[in-house]
Amino acid sequence: MFPSLPSILRSYGVPADVRTLLLLRRAMDKGLVKTLGDIYLVLKSIVVKDASHRGPFTMAYYDYFLQIEIQTGETLDEAITRSITFQKWKEKLLQDHPERSDELSSLINQFLDEVHLTSYDIKQIVDGKEILEKDDPDQLDEGEGNADATRRSLDKAADYTGVDLEEILRRMERVRQQQSSRHSGGSHWLGTGGISPYGHSGAAKGGIRLGGSGGGKMARKVFDNPRYFPVDLDSKLKDDNIDAALASLKGVIEDSTEAKLDVDKTIKDGLKRGGLYLPEMKNIYTEKMQIILLIDNGGYSMDGHIGVVTELFKKMKTRFAHDLKVYYFHNTIYNVVYSDPRRSKPVTVKKLTDHDKNYKVFIIGDAAMAPYELNRNSINHWTLIKDKFRKIAWLNPDSEKYWTHTQTTAFLMQMFDMYPLSPKGIEQAVRNMNRKTNEMY
Amino acid sequence: MAKTNFWNGSARYLCDPELAQAFHMARTLGMPLLIEGEPGTGKTELPLQYAQDMKLDLHVYPVGSKSNVEQFVAKFDHVKYLRDSQIEVLNSQRTEKGLDSKLSTSGRSTEQLDDYIIMGSAAKAYASPHSVLLIDEIDKAPREFPNDLLYALSHRKFILPESGKVIEISEADMPAIVITSNREQELPTAFKGRCIYHYIQFPEPDVMSQIIHKHYPNSDDEIVKVAIDVFYHLRRLGLERAPSTRELLNWLKYVKTFSKKEALERIKNLAGIGALIKTQSDLEKVQRLLFDKSNDDYGRRSNAN
Repeated sequence: MFPSLPSILRSYGVPADVRTLLLLRRAMDKGLVKTLGDIYLVLKSIVVKDASHRGPFTMAYYDYFLQIEIQTGETLDEAITRSITFQKWKEKLLQDHPERSDELSSLINQFLDEVHLTSYDIKQIVDGKEILEKDDPDQLDEGEGNADATRRSLDKAADYTGVDLEEILRRMERVRQQQSSRHSGGSHWLGTGGISPYGHSGAAKGGIRLGGSGGGKMARKVFDNPRYFPVDLDSKLKDDNIDAALASLKGVIEDSTEAKLDVDKTIKDGLKRGGLYLPEMKNIYTEKMQIILLIDNGGYSMDGHIGVVTELFKKMKTRFAHDLKVYYFHNTIYNVVYSDPRRSKPVTVKKLTDHDKNYKVFIIGDAAMAPYELNRNSINHWTLIKDKFRKIAWLNPDSEKYWTHTQTTAFLMQMFDMYPLSPKGIEQAVRNMNRKTNEMY
Repeated sequence: MAKTNFWNGSARYLCDPELAQAFHMARTLGMPLLIEGEPGTGKTELPLQYAQDMKLDLHVYPVGSKSNVEQFVAKFDHVKYLRDSQIEVLNSQRTEKGLDSKLSTSGRSTEQLDDYIIMGSAAKAYASPHSVLLIDEIDKAPREFPNDLLYALSHRKFILPESGKVIEISEADMPAIVITSNREQELPTAFKGRCIYHYIQFPEPDVMSQIIHKHYPNSDDEIVKVAIDVFYHLRRLGLERAPSTRELLNWLKYVKTFSKKEALERIKNLAGIGALIKTQSDLEKVQRLLFDKSNDDYGRRSNAN
């Protein structure tokens, strides 16, 4: 059943494999899936393991089950309007109800409401019929969303409780098979094949208002909320992806756990037992994070980045509270770096290299300067730093494609491993730093 | 499978429909429900209110930095065991000497290893059908803890190593397991894979007012409206630690003690703001943004930038 589903999900960046299908199958056996909307809910719960997967998952769902492909920069409404699925659905609706002359947006709303109609909604309709009709304030206790939104009415809402699940699945599978290719835009809407309230022979209940918060509203909310989409890991470090960068920086923490004989506890407990000493072990968990940060804060080209970088490492410090040393320089290093951003308190490079060689060094700078600035003297000092510390990464805020065009950047690139100053770049830098450690031992 | 009837909140707890559905699904599939979301959005409340409303047994395991699976499942009381075995020796010595009085082991027998097992919340929950098991703040645990849980969660069975006792529960009697996390650390993928995941979305103003009415049924509409207004403006200021539902409820509790007129006045002047703002730098930011400008402009201007 749905054999190509996991690969489609994965192509949207949502992890899925054969277990996804097995779980879906189990959910079906338990009677959790009766409508297309149910599939959305169940799959969402199985597949989405992080808030940022929800958006891509929803897109994959529209693509796979409804053949609605949402292209970049396109809104949900536009994608729906463009899709054959919606056009077919609209045709059918107008055939059945020639008197309808709704605005496009309200048609889309209805379409979405039907797509996302779940058996929970249906249950609420059936169970909550009386309550809804009486406009009882008790409705609040039903745990429903905005009361106004719940009043949106559907012409028909179907009760599928009597329909055979196997039959529904067979139909869905058939529709999928009939599609020659994914991109040809299937000519069938799965719904019309049997899962939507429309066109189905199942008992349609007329004129009952839909409970729940309304599928259309829910779908739009998902697409409007940036939290439901992954942060762009390749984009430059800025305020909104700083947390992603932080997550990748966490990797620089070296941690280890070992069990050791806890002498104190062994004696204490032994005394309590009246002289019977049993060895007591304790787990010793150590975390080590020693970092030196060298920031180029000279020149306007770096201005925009310093705030974010400082913020990033400040956050890192408050969250992990470790050994972090920050120094500043202008364009390049001669014999001194500075311990304050205004560059008034010099620290000699010699002193800098007195630090333990296990410090991890991050250099943040664009490495772009006039060629004469990077003279022999400066190169010697860079070499000193490079020879001393085993793990150095250069994070460059400039776009990667310009690096080789700038003479000084190209030169420093050969000296140091250079990465873009983006969450992805930081992650790579950290990964390579860690890898080198392993090779050495 | 725990009790599988659909539950969508009680008189005191407003359960987001999506959360209710995920919870129902988790119970039906017999999988744990993993809830993430901002602090103070009612993650922990769900199982508590559910157990209370449905009158089910509730077992809570608050996770801490030193949590391990033994605490969670069951541990063997070595000290008691040693004491009792020495008592046996002592008692036989006393009998030899013809003494009648015996030392008591309170009915425990060293032959019965089960007598020395201290059951943790998981074992207790698995021993009682249809209970509710809450594993609170799992992200606080040491890294191995979630992985150690995997076996227990996926096999519905614990084996206690010392006594060989097996605590097992049928699929039909499974407890409803709810796990909460504040995302202080990323949970292992394999662990997440065994759970139904739900991310609690921060409630919108209209839902928030319903939540408030659930907690304080007699609160004045106008006070609630103004307070919510202020609250959401504060959230939009981009504070380090944005106030959450819990903080708003606490603040209202304070404001409620005053007469309506006074209460409105206090809300507008952000009296008792300590209930909402939790860090010094945030407090300074709020002071700077709100009180240097006109009073009725709760940060809208700064927000527009």
